[in-house]
Amino acid sequence: MAAIELAGVTRRYDAAGGPVVALDAVSLSVEEGAFVAVMGPSGSGKSTLLNVVGLLDAPDEGRILVGDEDVTDTDVGERTRIRKETVGFVFQDFHLIPTLSAAENVAVPTIFDADPKRDRAADLLGRVGLGDRLGHTPNELSGGQKQRVAIARSLINRPSIVLADEPTGNLDRDTGERILDTLTGVTDRGVSVVAVTHDPAVAAYADRTVELEDGAIA
Amino acid sequence: MTRLPALFVARRNLSRNRLRSALAALGILVGVVAIASLGIFGNVLAVGASDALGDIGTQVIVSPNADAGYQSIDDATVTEIERATDAGTVVPLKTDGGLVTRGSNSAAATIYGIENPASVYTAADGRLPERHRQGAIVGAEVAETLEVRVGDSITVAGEDHRVLAVLEPVEAFSPVSPDDAVMLPESDVGGEGYQQVLVRTETGAEATASATAIQTTVNAREERVDVFELSSIVNEIDEFFSLLSGFLIGLGGISLFVAGVSILNVMLMSTVERRQEIGVLRAVGVPRRAVLRTMLFEAALLGIVGALGGIVVTVGLVAVLYAVTPVELGMVLDPRNGLYLLGAFAFGILISVASGLYPAWKAANERPVDALRS
Repeated sequence: MAAIELAGVTRRYDAAGGPVVALDAVSLSVEEGAFVAVMGPSGSGKSTLLNVVGLLDAPDEGRILVGDEDVTDTDVGERTRIRKETVGFVFQDFHLIPTLSAAENVAVPTIFDADPKRDRAADLLGRVGLGDRLGHTPNELSGGQKQRVAIARSLINRPSIVLADEPTGNLDRDTGERILDTLTGVTDRGVSVVAVTHDPAVAAYADRTVELEDGAIA
Repeated sequence: MTRLPALFVARRNLSRNRLRSALAALGILVGVVAIASLGIFGNVLAVGASDALGDIGTQVIVSPNADAGYQSIDDATVTEIERATDAGTVVPLKTDGGLVTRGSNSAAATIYGIENPASVYTAADGRLPERHRQGAIVGAEVAETLEVRVGDSITVAGEDHRVLAVLEPVEAFSPVSPDDAVMLPESDVGGEGYQQVLVRTETGAEATASATAIQTTVNAREERVDVFELSSIVNEIDEFFSLLSGFLIGLGGISLFVAGVSILNVMLMSTVERRQEIGVLRAVGVPRRAVLRTMLFEAALLGIVGALGGIVVTVGLVAVLYAVTPVELGMVLDPRNGLYLLGAFAFGILISVASGLYPAWKAANERPVDALRS
């Protein structure tokens, strides 16, 4: 079964020179546990695709299905809830909260819940090799460590899909490969990973590579 | 992490830029001090003035109109005044002046002939008779000068009288002040009729009503008496103090408003700085109301810290006021002062939260996509 599925998704933006079509009737299905790399030049619509898949942005046309649920027309609050339960995010520049410790950063998606998942946060940090860094703040961690904290954070709510935006973009090659190993390890547990990237190394780790060009799958 | 995660996060956020947070709280502190202390000072003034003015607002003094040739008020006129007065006590007074002596001490005193002193005065020592037939009642000041006690004998205008009672000192200003007076039975004070009729009422409004009634009945055909009453002046003084209090609180309000603007500014800066971070929170599934609540908690925390500090400083200022001025403890501990403190505290927090509303709403409603792109 597909973890997430886009059917004929079109997304247009208003720009100074008239509307720009960022995504043009894109259909994409990500299987459970698959590692999909999305590649393409700048402006090809990679980020928009990631935003639509991550329910941060709504398409102008087409449908989005999470599992077997059609989530195209949900409102902001509902979309926030679905995002929390089914999607994890890993960003290029990590986006950790500087005042919180590594463990707290991992638990951040649940920090406002009645029962924040602190134990699971510690487990996840252990799993990405940072079991001895729970109390460190982000500025006490290296780039690779920060990205592993971010990966742990993306997994806190047991999502069905992890979206990574240039996950190796700010890291040296060795560190990047360790991060890709970690992401591959994620897919072994049945979680799908979609990574948007320029980095051919990412494609080498992926089960499948999707090329985007001018908003359409090439 | 605590049971109130929004509060926990808010506290962390504020501690990120301690100086800026402290300055914003200081603004609220100054505003709360301004409102509370100006309000309390105004109230202390008003309470003090009202103590000093005392009973004058509830007294009507009727005296003969000398311009029309009246030197005294006769019994018939007193009866008319009694009829015209619905509420209150009518006390006709014969007035004279003279020397009061006891042994080698002597003092010049006002001498009142009065039949019912118990209805308007209070004895500090001895007992006031219902009907004053004999003996003297001595005012506090005269008693002190002559070292007179109840049971002593004094000489008033050549005649001896036993002292029945010494009156309590009257601190408030009064047109018929008993302090430097000696009161004798009417029959012992010479002259025709009365020189003054005192009408004592419970409230200022009754005094005004009585004065008007006396004017319209006793003076219907001829201006026989002058009617003097101060309730309208007391009202004006009261109004003046309300105005003064309002003005002072308004000044304080302006400074608290400025403090609110500074909190608004701090919160807006903070939302701009944390734009991406808030975007991340929203992206990872933190609902808008949690973001809103966190920002409001930040504003409220600034307000609570500032307002608490403001209350402490105000209490200190009032203590200094009490120490260096002749203000009485009763005025400082007037319950309305507590209300000013409480009101300023609540208002300080309210202003802070209100100032946090817009930034919080703005932060919570930004689309995560836009926030993350920045």
